[in-house]
Amino acid sequence: MATSITRTFGSLRIVARRSLKNAEVALNVRHPGPLFLPVRTKKRYFIPPAVGLKGKKEENPEAKARAAGIVFRQQYLERPINIACSAGVFDPYIPPEGDARLSTLSKEGLRQRTEQIRQSAASQLAIRKIKDYDSQFSTKTFAEQAQEIFIEAHNALTHVHSSLFLCPNYCQCCATVLQEMTRGNRYKTIRWRFVESLEPPRVVHARCPDMVTKGNLYGQVTVRMHSKQTVAIYDRFGRLMLGSEEQPKDVLEYLVIERHLVNPYSRWRLHGKIVPSWAPPKDPIIKTVAIPGPDLKPWEEFDAFNYEIPKPAAVQWNKWENESLSSTLCIIFLIFLWDVLRLPCKDNLLHPKDKHLCKTH
Amino acid sequence: MAATMSGRGVAFIRSIGGSLHLRLQVLGGASQQLSCLHTSVSLNEKHWEKNNRKVYPPQLPDEPRRPAEVYHSRRQIKYSKDKMWYLAKMIRGMSIDEAIAQLEFNDKKGAKVMREVLLEAQEMAVKNHNVEYKSNLYVAESFSGKGKYLKRIRYHGRGMFGIMDKVYCHYFVKLVEGLPPKPEERTGFDQAKEYVQGLKNRTIIHSL
Repeated sequence: MATSITRTFGSLRIVARRSLKNAEVALNVRHPGPLFLPVRTKKRYFIPPAVGLKGKKEENPEAKARAAGIVFRQQYLERPINIACSAGVFDPYIPPEGDARLSTLSKEGLRQRTEQIRQSAASQLAIRKIKDYDSQFSTKTFAEQAQEIFIEAHNALTHVHSSLFLCPNYCQCCATVLQEMTRGNRYKTIRWRFVESLEPPRVVHARCPDMVTKGNLYGQVTVRMHSKQTVAIYDRFGRLMLGSEEQPKDVLEYLVIERHLVNPYSRWRLHGKIVPSWAPPKDPIIKTVAIPGPDLKPWEEFDAFNYEIPKPAAVQWNKWENESLSSTLCIIFLIFLWDVLRLPCKDNLLHPKDKHLCKTH
Repeated sequence: MAATMSGRGVAFIRSIGGSLHLRLQVLGGASQQLSCLHTSVSLNEKHWEKNNRKVYPPQLPDEPRRPAEVYHSRRQIKYSKDKMWYLAKMIRGMSIDEAIAQLEFNDKKGAKVMREVLLEAQEMAVKNHNVEYKSNLYVAESFSGKGKYLKRIRYHGRGMFGIMDKVYCHYFVKLVEGLPPKPEERTGFDQAKEYVQGLKNRTIIHSL
C-alpha cells in the first residue's frame, strides 16, 4: 500500500481555513495564519521493522555499569562433585593364554586354578583389606554375587532407553560403564538373554587402590565367568544388526566389580570388563562397511589386489575406556549422570573400627 | 530384583524406580516413546526431523525387510519457495545418484543448496540409520515450504513505498532405501478401456 505525503498537506490547509473562520477574533486585528499546525497524519498501519535501526550498535551494559561505578562481586560457579567410582581398572588382571581351552575338570586345569589365586600375594592382601571393611566378604560367595550383578545389569540394559533415571537398576553399574554400555543405544533395540553358566564363576584377582587421597579405598575384584548368552541388536527399523536370538554363544569374560569401601552405603557394582589379547575375534555385523582406503595422489591408482586390509592389534584392553565399543554402536550418545556428585571429604569417610556407628546393610 | 546390599535411602529410590518402571511397561512398550522427555534437541527440532527418531519394534524373521527411511531438511534457504518447487518436483522419484548428478549441472541457485542437503542426508543414512549401500537410496518425498520472511521498504516515486519481502524457504527430503519405484505407464488404450468401463458401470439407483 502506497501513501502520499501530499495528502497530509491538504488536510493541513483545510484545518487552517476552518480555524480562521470559527475563531472569535477582534475584527480590526489581523493575525497571520499559523505556519505549522500540529496535525494528525493518517495512521500507518504497517511500519517495517528494520527502518531506523541501521546505525545502532549493541551497547555493552557491563561497560556502562563499570563506568557508573557499580562493582559486581565475582560469581563463583561451584558445583560440588562426589566421585563414587574410580577412574579405571587398577593393575588389570592378565588372563593366561590357554585359559579358555583348559577345562577345570582336567588335572592340569585344576592345578592351574588352585595355584593362580594363591600365588598372587597382592590379591590376598587386597582381599584381606576388603574383609576389614566388609566382614561378610568371601571369595566363594562373591563370585555368585558378581554373576547376579552382571545379569541384572544386562537385563536393565535391554530396557534402558534414554531416560536413565527411570531404570531401577542404575546403581548396579558404575557411571562410566553405564555410559559405555548405553552409548548408541537410543534408537536401537537390544535383546539379551543369559542362557546358562557353563562353569561356576571364580574370583581371579583383587586390588585395593586408593584414589586421590590416601585413605580413599576402592576395592576392585576380577571375576572369571564362562557362560552361554544370546544377544541380538536390532536397528531403528527392526532389522537385525548383530547376533541372533536363537543361537547362544559361549562367552568367557573377566568382569571387574568395584566398591567404594570407605563408604558404608556403597555396593558392589560392575566396573568394566577385561578383554584378553588372545580373545577370538567377534562375529561381524550383518552389513557391509566401507573401510577407508589409502590416500592417493591424482595420478595414482588403487591396487585392490595387493592392498592389505589393516587389522586391529592383538592387545589386551579394558572395556570401560575404549571409545569405540564395537563397530555397531557407532553413534556417540552422551548421557548425563543423574545424581549430583560430591567430593569426599575426610569427615564423611569411616574407618573400619567405627563401622558399628553406621547402619548395617 | 536381587538386592544384595542396600542402604535405606537407596532402597526407597529403587522402589520408586521399580514402580515407575512397571507403570511404563504397562503402557505397552512405552519405554521407547519416553525419548521425548527432557531431550536436548527439543527446542531446535521441528516436526520433519522428529520422524528420524521413530523406532520400530524388531521384525520377525519371516517378515519382509523394512526399508530404511531418512528424513532431512534445511531451513531458511535464501531462495523463493516457488522457484525451489521446480527443482524439488524434478528430483521426485529419482535415485539419489541421479538426483545429485542432475542438480550438479543445473544452473539454478537452489540446485547447489539442494545437492548439499542430499549429500548430507546420504551420509546421515549410512552413518546413523544403518543403510548398507549409499547408492541404494531414492528420493521418496521432496518439497519446499515457506520460511520466515524479512520485510523491507521498497521506495517508489512520489513518496510512495511498498513492503518488500526478503523470501526464505525450507527444503524437505525423504530418502528411502531400495530401488526407485517405476512410474506406472498408462497408454491411451488403457485410458480408453477405463473410460468405457466407467460408462458400463453406470446404473440407476433405487430402481426396480
